[in-house]
Amino acid sequence: MSGMHLSREFFELIKAIGESKSKQEEDRIIAREVMTLKKKLESGGDKSISATPIPGVPGSGGSGNTLNTNKKKAKEFLVRVLYVEMLGHDGSFGYIKGVELAASQSIVHKRTGYLLCSCCLSPEHEFRFMLINQMQRDLVSSNLLESCGALLAVTSLITPDLVSTVSTQVMGLLEHSAETVRKKAIVCLHRLHQLNDDAVSKQELVEKTRKMLCDRDPAVMGATLNVIEAMARVDVQPFKDLVPSLISILKQICERRLPSEYDYHRIPAPWMQMKIVRILSIIGKNDQQSSEGMYEILGDCLRKAEEAGINASNAIVYECVRTITAIYPFPVLLDAAGNSISRFLSSKSQNLRYLGVTGLASIVERHPKYAADHQLAVIECLEDRDETLLRKTLDLLYRMTNPVNVEFITEKLLHFLRGSTDPYLRKDLTGKICRIAERYAPNNAWYVRTITELFKISGDLVDPAVATNLMSLVAEGTGDENDDEEADRVLRKQAVELYVNLLSKPPSRMPRVLVETMAWVLGEYGYLSSVMPLDAIIDGMCRLLESGSAAKLGGGLPSTRRLVLSAIMKMVAQYGSCPAMAAKVIDNYTKSSDPDAQKRCLEFQTILTTAPHMLGEIFPVDASLEDVDVDVNLGFLDGLVAEAISNGGRPYQKPEDDDDDDGVFGSGAHRTDTASAFKMTPYEKPSTAPGQGAMRGFGSASMGPGGIANTALPPGGSGALNPQVNAAPAPVSNPGEPQLVLRNVANVWGKQAPPPPPAAPVAVPTQIYSSSNNSHSSPAPSGYGGFGSPPVLAPAPQPVKTAELLEKERMAAAL
Amino acid sequence: KTELSSFHTCILHQPRNQYAAKIKATPSHESDRIKSIIMIRFFLLQNRQGKTRLSKWYVPPPTNTSNNNPSSSSNGSQIPYQNASYTTTNQTEAEKVRIESEVHRLVTSRDKKYTNFIEYNNYKLIYRRYAGLFFTIAVDVADNELSYLESIHLFVELLDSYFANVCELDIVFNFNKVYSILDEYMLAGEIEETSKREILDRVKFLEKLE
Repeated sequence: MSGMHLSREFFELIKAIGESKSKQEEDRIIAREVMTLKKKLESGGDKSISATPIPGVPGSGGSGNTLNTNKKKAKEFLVRVLYVEMLGHDGSFGYIKGVELAASQSIVHKRTGYLLCSCCLSPEHEFRFMLINQMQRDLVSSNLLESCGALLAVTSLITPDLVSTVSTQVMGLLEHSAETVRKKAIVCLHRLHQLNDDAVSKQELVEKTRKMLCDRDPAVMGATLNVIEAMARVDVQPFKDLVPSLISILKQICERRLPSEYDYHRIPAPWMQMKIVRILSIIGKNDQQSSEGMYEILGDCLRKAEEAGINASNAIVYECVRTITAIYPFPVLLDAAGNSISRFLSSKSQNLRYLGVTGLASIVERHPKYAADHQLAVIECLEDRDETLLRKTLDLLYRMTNPVNVEFITEKLLHFLRGSTDPYLRKDLTGKICRIAERYAPNNAWYVRTITELFKISGDLVDPAVATNLMSLVAEGTGDENDDEEADRVLRKQAVELYVNLLSKPPSRMPRVLVETMAWVLGEYGYLSSVMPLDAIIDGMCRLLESGSAAKLGGGLPSTRRLVLSAIMKMVAQYGSCPAMAAKVIDNYTKSSDPDAQKRCLEFQTILTTAPHMLGEIFPVDASLEDVDVDVNLGFLDGLVAEAISNGGRPYQKPEDDDDDDGVFGSGAHRTDTASAFKMTPYEKPSTAPGQGAMRGFGSASMGPGGIANTALPPGGSGALNPQVNAAPAPVSNPGEPQLVLRNVANVWGKQAPPPPPAAPVAVPTQIYSSSNNSHSSPAPSGYGGFGSPPVLAPAPQPVKTAELLEKERMAAAL
Repeated sequence: KTELSSFHTCILHQPRNQYAAKIKATPSHESDRIKSIIMIRFFLLQNRQGKTRLSKWYVPPPTNTSNNNPSSSSNGSQIPYQNASYTTTNQTEAEKVRIESEVHRLVTSRDKKYTNFIEYNNYKLIYRRYAGLFFTIAVDVADNELSYLESIHLFVELLDSYFANVCELDIVFNFNKVYSILDEYMLAGEIEETSKREILDRVKFLEKLE
């Protein structure tokens, strides 16, 4: 039969396309076909088509057109246009003919016309407007084929703004005598509601839907279930009371009281069963009373489906499992669901294993005990090469995580993260690893190691707050009430050595967050290292900075370089003298194009040459968390001020209209003059004011350390020092005791060091850690029993097994 | 039948060939959130070479210019229609073609031992291969995969009954009929009728009018 009804021309075309060897050849054939079709359209002699390529004027159906005189040809023309479109070419020249044929008397023409339009017209194509009138007419036609055709067209051609033009007619069709019209009408009406919920209101649709559910024809009822499901997903309230009706329908289906034509591979109406089960899950969620009403039927439905054991019945089983885990829990059903999941997981079919993993993921979060039996199966899925299955398994692992298996699972997730190139998967996994590491970390050292590894792999995909957390963890330690200094010191030492190792063998590409965290940790606690002497660490950092490779410096941003510089300076202070390499690097950076880095280095050089003994105070060791008293009144300057005034200097006048941080200077300020701060008169001739020379000399020293000593700032925070520095009123400076200034300014910055980053406040990690240790038993008391022995200790149970199997079992035991 | 022997394979009753290659699935966007719309996005029928034999879109494809943001929807139940001023026919069409070829690449490159599901953008592809033809349905990530796998099979059974041992050639030459079968089977992205007899009766009735 195939091909016989086609014209020779079309037949040859399809044949040629089928035999074409390359895309180019195919394109040429299609281009030729497009020419032929265009010619056909024109040669018809119908002026309204050939003369007006501009859309808006529908062909009035001139009788001279060969396309019009020959029914078959006209239809074939549309089919050929559709064919051209299907192969990815532009057939828009023929759309007008589709619009025209939609108005044809012949039902075949009409359907073909609608078909072309619904397949090809984009949502905003202007031809859609031209079809409205036709659709309106067809909807109310006495010929049910025309009504059906129009309903089909409405679902794909109507756009939100056009809904009101057809909604009344569609609603009218709900009462049609033919079931085929009614079932299309209800689906169509829902589509209209989705497009525009003003024109077809929810209330209206709910009312109609409930009525249609009781239709005498099962097909209409079946179609209505779709609508109920979609609507209940948005708002379940209007359907809550339908539970008894739905249960009764499901019961009838399960008892095979529906016509046998709905059977599929001897399963009674599987799609309707699934729909109802799914609607039940929506209604039963967070609703104990409704849930209790469904237990019995769900059990029956699941049992009957389990008996059949084919794909269609497994689909029902899966749907039941999902519903059972979603509604208010009932142990008997949960056990049944658990059994089904086991069957899926142990299946040979990859698809069923996939469903098993997904089902297990839906059940373990609330009922972890069901994971216990499936560790081996999960590990096997993890080794599968099918990425779809792999992804689901990783998701399952994430949900299965608990304090016992966290190390194993994190290791697995990191492993897959390393091998993945897919940006979305990477981002997803990175977030998951952060979350489980924070929630279940067995100890701080592990956390630091894991997160550092994550920095290495994911780099800047990691939330910056995680880096801040890590640094405050290293600085603050456990935060336990017994305040174990020794434990904190050990943690710092471990962190330092971790980063020292990284520094000695830096990977070819170091993400920014890794470089910055490393710089901070080594800068603060480098002296704790026992694997490498401090001067070697300094040299290592210098090499890193000098390597000139942006890849190794996390992109080589100025802010990153500044942090590394600060770290070098801090370590120089710890070391007590400046190694040659550090001196060279710092000297290089005094010529840096980055003014901030340049300033720091110049200041550092000045300190080094003029007051090396002050280094320890400027860069206090382990003081990033120290509270410092800030003398906001700058009282230590009083003597200097008095001296300056007695030398004829003008007293500082506090600007009247200063904004709200006046209070900072309040009590100490000399409030003598209430004149406007703006100077309205011309400036006097300049005269040499005493003190100015001194200021020039020491200005940089007094302001500088603010820049240098802010090294405790978390990554990215190093920029904004100036406001604070400027806060020191200008006309005074004290050459005698710069160290006080330094100390104060330095510590102001040191103290504020880890300011709450945008996302997570510093307090978070401490809380997490203190609680995670205690909470090992609390979150799901019953759950962990099945997870067996701790990862490393798991002994190989039976020596007869192969090494591979043993390995798997070892991993499984770790879960 | 005709001399196009390569198309003669009866698609339903054929052992499937093995096509092994490396896979790379496009992932799900976390940001995409048309959660409440559980419906079929599109239905595709392609051959092994990537020629589209049938493509039915129930939701217009997202285009780059407008994020398929259901902007008009306050309750999230609305179909994501693009703002008309941003898209043109060409863009929509180009996007369809692009997605279709990507789907082809994904489904043909998978080992037959793999699952029949692929996560793709914010939805999931469920595909099934019959001889040289790939049937692909795109649905929501949370939908029941197996159910759609069987939906595809039911569709193939429909074709098989209608064409009596359907082969690719039947579909090539009668794709408009395939569309009408599909239209009686699925409507507006929902499976509307699952009775084979009912669907075939409808289609045959229409055919008699020709």
